[in-house]
Amino acid sequence: MTVLPVVQLPEPVLKRRAAEVGGITDEVRRLCSDLVETMRASPACVGLAAPQVGVSLRVFCVDVTGHNKAVSCHGTVVLVDPEVLAAGPGATAREGCMSVPDLTGDVTRATELVIRGCTPEGAERVLSVDAFEARAVLHELDHLDGLLFLDRVTSGRLFPRKVYR
Amino acid sequence: MLAVGADRPGIVAAVTGALSEAGANLDDTSMSILHGHFAIAMVVAGPEGLDVAAALAPVAERLDLTVDVRPIPEGTPPTPDGERWSLAVYGADRPGLVAAVTAVVADTGVNVVDLTTRLIGVPTRPVYAMQLELAVPDGVDAAQMKERLAAVAADLGIDCTLTPADADLL
Repeated sequence: MTVLPVVQLPEPVLKRRAAEVGGITDEVRRLCSDLVETMRASPACVGLAAPQVGVSLRVFCVDVTGHNKAVSCHGTVVLVDPEVLAAGPGATAREGCMSVPDLTGDVTRATELVIRGCTPEGAERVLSVDAFEARAVLHELDHLDGLLFLDRVTSGRLFPRKVYR
Repeated sequence: MLAVGADRPGIVAAVTGALSEAGANLDDTSMSILHGHFAIAMVVAGPEGLDVAAALAPVAERLDLTVDVRPIPEGTPPTPDGERWSLAVYGADRPGLVAAVTAVVADTGVNVVDLTTRLIGVPTRPVYAMQLELAVPDGVDAAQMKERLAAVAADLGIDCTLTPADADLL
């Protein structure tokens, strides 16, 4: 497993719709494990999508274990070609992003979510997530569509980000 | 650079257009309508010898803007670091509200990062609404500030809510 460099704006890969993976290969499995490794290497980071490491494929990981806003928690989740099956009511909270330096903004996202995707082992997985885990998943799914939290800030205000040490 | 004038369409386009033509580059900016007046505060970077005031003079004249330009020393830190908190304050309008609340904030050693206030409601019952973004430095006790704010709020008969505004890094 390798910690990959996280790309930041204005890297064009962040604004492209990522391609479907199609099938699990050794290369995809390596990407999955590198994503998790990269997420764990960054303090306070709870999710990462493949475009953030410069790979325009529909793969993401999240892990909200131990997070004080989490209700549902499925540990380390890695999904390939994920899709949303159902989304519930929204709530607003402040987000920052590894790929957007210095800024944070308030974003409204669904608080209940059912998603389906393929695990790195090739099995189909359906997950019901809520609260913070749902927010993390939706933030990463946006990355797969070339969207950043900046595209979703509704209040018209951006705030300077705390420095994570 | 600070500029203010009676609001009308085209102020931002004219000001930023003139700066762009002069070779200036915009850094952080804040622009908003304050009771019918458009207020611009911006940090501008430019080549050696750039005269921001001169570049803006024709636009200021045409749009009747008051412009103030001053240099910023190199190496000025962009924003203070610290835990982010949001402070919402509102209540019946009275003189000294902002001063009383921010005195507690300052006295605790906390920085105001962003502050917006609006006078709302009907003229016979004006309500003052204030939203602050605070940076609480390491070693400063936000809980203590919260207690003191609650005491001031009770004194003034206003509502005062302090909530963590920590962003999640996703």
